[in-house]
Amino acid sequence: VALLKGTLDVLVLKTLSWTAMHAFEITTWLEERSDKRIVVDDAALLQALHRMEERKLIAAEWGVTKNGRRARYYRLTTAGRAFLGSESERLVDHFDALTTVLSSKKA
Amino acid sequence: VFSTMPRGIRRLLRLRRTRAGTLGEIDEELTSLIDARIEALTAQGMSPADARAEAMRRLGATFDQARAQLHRSATLRHRRMRIRELFDDFWHDVRYGARGLLRRPAFTIVAVATLAIGIGATTTIFSAVNTLLLRPLPYDRPNELMLVSLEAPSVGGRPGEPVEIWSYPKAQEFRRRQTVFSDLAYYSWEPATITGGEPELTRVEHVTASYLPLLGIKPAVGRGFDRLLDDRPEVAQEVILSDALWQRRFKANRDIIGTALHLDGVPYTIVGVLPPGFLGLTGQGNLLVPVTAGTTRRLSQPQNHWLDMVARRKAGVTDAQMRVTVAQLGREINEIFLTADMSGAPWGANARPLDAVRVAPLIKQSLLILFAAVAFVLLIACTNVANLLIGRASTRHREIAVRLAIGASRGRLVRLLLAESSLLAALGACAGLAVAAIGIRALAAVDPTALRMPRFDGVGGLTLSLVTLDWTALAFAVGLTAIVGISFGLVPALQATRASLVDAMKDGGGRLGHGTSASRRILLVVEVAMALVLLASSGLMIRSLAKLLSVDPGFDARNVLTVRLTIPPRGMAQDSMPAFHSEVLARLRGLPGVKSASLSSCVPLGGGCSQTLIKFLDRDPVPEGQRPLVEVDWVTPDWFNTVGVPLRRGRGFSATDGVAAPKVVVINEASAKKFWPNADPIGKRIGLGVDDLEEGAEVIGVVGDVRQLADSSAMPAAYVSYLQSPRPTAMVFVKSTRDIATLGPEVRRALREVAPVFPIHDMQFLTERVAAATARTRFSAVLLTLFAATALSLAAMGLYGVMSLAVAARTREIGIRMALGADQRRVQRAIVGEAAALVSVGAAFGLVMATIATRALRSLLFDLTPTDPATYGAILALLAGAAIIASWLPSRRAARVDPVDALRAE
Repeated sequence: VALLKGTLDVLVLKTLSWTAMHAFEITTWLEERSDKRIVVDDAALLQALHRMEERKLIAAEWGVTKNGRRARYYRLTTAGRAFLGSESERLVDHFDALTTVLSSKKA
Repeated sequence: VFSTMPRGIRRLLRLRRTRAGTLGEIDEELTSLIDARIEALTAQGMSPADARAEAMRRLGATFDQARAQLHRSATLRHRRMRIRELFDDFWHDVRYGARGLLRRPAFTIVAVATLAIGIGATTTIFSAVNTLLLRPLPYDRPNELMLVSLEAPSVGGRPGEPVEIWSYPKAQEFRRRQTVFSDLAYYSWEPATITGGEPELTRVEHVTASYLPLLGIKPAVGRGFDRLLDDRPEVAQEVILSDALWQRRFKANRDIIGTALHLDGVPYTIVGVLPPGFLGLTGQGNLLVPVTAGTTRRLSQPQNHWLDMVARRKAGVTDAQMRVTVAQLGREINEIFLTADMSGAPWGANARPLDAVRVAPLIKQSLLILFAAVAFVLLIACTNVANLLIGRASTRHREIAVRLAIGASRGRLVRLLLAESSLLAALGACAGLAVAAIGIRALAAVDPTALRMPRFDGVGGLTLSLVTLDWTALAFAVGLTAIVGISFGLVPALQATRASLVDAMKDGGGRLGHGTSASRRILLVVEVAMALVLLASSGLMIRSLAKLLSVDPGFDARNVLTVRLTIPPRGMAQDSMPAFHSEVLARLRGLPGVKSASLSSCVPLGGGCSQTLIKFLDRDPVPEGQRPLVEVDWVTPDWFNTVGVPLRRGRGFSATDGVAAPKVVVINEASAKKFWPNADPIGKRIGLGVDDLEEGAEVIGVVGDVRQLADSSAMPAAYVSYLQSPRPTAMVFVKSTRDIATLGPEVRRALREVAPVFPIHDMQFLTERVAAATARTRFSAVLLTLFAATALSLAAMGLYGVMSLAVAARTREIGIRMALGADQRRVQRAIVGEAAALVSVGAAFGLVMATIATRALRSLLFDLTPTDPATYGAILALLAGAAIIASWLPSRRAARVDPVDALRAE
């Protein structure tokens, strides 16, 4: 499923709001939560992560996975948490409006 | 390690993520993600090959594409970050600088004030120099403009006059014959009273219609005069107002065009308004009227000279061609207008660039001297700032050492130090701009009439009120102080970075390192020396001015109104003149409040009027060429009384000393002293080379000396009575008991009644004429004094800075000395003594420099040599006083050092 522009960022932030994760954990978490309906290209995910890191919505640190692999862990910053709050509200509202319009029946 | 380090520390250490490092991390992350997916897929039972294929598919692009894309984004991000960091750093530096400056308000105020004075004063004076001396004249193609003059030959011992003015017929003749100028114009100014409504004494420039187009000046409102007027001199009663008069008297109302303005009771139609700042070439053109308006009689009098001529050289005419042609025309005109009474050498004509005569030589000299003075002030300001910054840098050795120890780069440190200096320079520049703006206003406010240049002494239109702020000068001054200040502040700081860190941190007493201490001392010596030069110059100027003002000029100028009254040639028979003059004076004496009225051919302090040879009839004749000269002035009997010249011996003139009576003269004391050193001059017979006095006249009295020049003592003079030797030209002197400001119009009216057609002009209070004689000296003295006071206070501030730092650095030493039994007074004496040594060395250098520099002042000094011992004594005392105060304050601090505290402090 192709994602709407800007939606990926919010989804990633939402994912990270649970705990700090590295890229593979994030994409796996999204797939599981959406019953595989949301599948993100890995390259696009990395782009999104780096973009948000520059905007200081998330911060990154190198860490070690359970399997003993070095990975870059991302966590939500205060600014990211605030952004997530306002953006998810906006998105939900947006989809609600879309749903209302698209599911209306001919009178 | 890097990313776990707090940002603050990263910043402190100036560690930065490199681009290569970032790209490496990206590669690692990308590989790690792919590996994690492969691992997860194989864990689910997929074959390694399939798992890899699936992982690559999930990438969304080929590995290389994905990697390149990520790298590109990272590079862009990195660039953005660098820019943001630079900006952050800049603000950080500014804040750091501001904090540093705020933490030491005394240092900051002194430094900014120093810069402001140095920059402001230099900019002001340079702006004036630029406007008055350097910048092209503010007219159209000014290098083509020539001042064309007649030349008078030397007559009977009087030198020739290379710059003589024109009569209207001569000027017209010249205009008709000349071939080298594309256009020419005549102009002259006269006083006039605006009547109708509030009467106002003002000055009017009479100009040809070609005048404004020739200079390239276009009226801001309305039009100029019709050029046809110059060829058909029918009287056009039109007037053009100056912008200043229009603004003030007419509140800038455009509707006045076409209405009438009355000048001396005659209506003129207002046709235009001049652009702001233009007051004619004479600087007196509050109003412009056609040269043909007003007194028309003089237009037909070839020997009535009253006009200046300005001309524009034709393109392609060389300087030599012009000179030859003008000289030739001068001879032709001399032939045409030759009269019987003009014996001797012929008159000529010449043309010189208007630019060459733009400013009187004395004004030029004064300005250049002021410029030199102000350059000294700027240099002193520079050394002072350098001194302050060196002091500032030397107190920071430890801070610098600490920063170096934790890894700051030298470049970064330099930037931090630069930040403070630059901020200082910026503040100084702003304050300097303010000072310059105020200074230029103050210059413009200097009474322009007080500095008015005498006729022929330059383009009067070039006044201090035209001076505008010179941005180049401002930039230069700011740049110089900034460069000097920064380089002096930076060098010691850099030296500090090179020094052993351990030493710097360990050695508490080393805050004032030996190197910086020595350079500060040298700077201080230089500063004191330069301040002394300025002090000497201004001291000499002040002494000179004081002498000039304190000398008794020999007369009392108070409450005396003066005006020129000229009987034009052939206007009246010589025999009728005494009766006419008596009638004029009788009429003036009849005005309410007038105490006395009289005539003199010459204005006191006006530079003298005519000289002639004197011979003594009771002595052996001296050979021709060795006969002494005397100033000869004509007066009416009452004149000595009008201006309060005392009679010393004998009697003055009386009404009975008429044309038919025996010839008599009155001499001044200088004559008596010079010509009759051991005898009584009363009753002696002398011959004077004027009129019919060659045959002998009796000396009947001796009066007090009246100076011909403000800056030299009175010359021998002889007075002749108007009633006995009638003369057509005279200056009328009216002394009144009432406020003479209101007397002008009444005197003018009374004179008009008696002499309706004769020129009455140049009305001034005698005090004005006296003030004009001393104006330039006063102007230079006031400004030089200002600069010298500035220099002295800057030097004192510098001394204070050096001494307080020296005290601070030696706190421990002083503590030890006191612990060992030195008493307070002894400590204090040591500190002051050190300061005295520094100042003495500076003063010694300064004295040598001053004796050389003040030679330039020689021609401006009155009755004073440039090495006047009294002046030097006074300024040395002043310098010593300032030095003692500047070093006593820190010394007191030193004396109050508590030995225990001082030893514990480090």
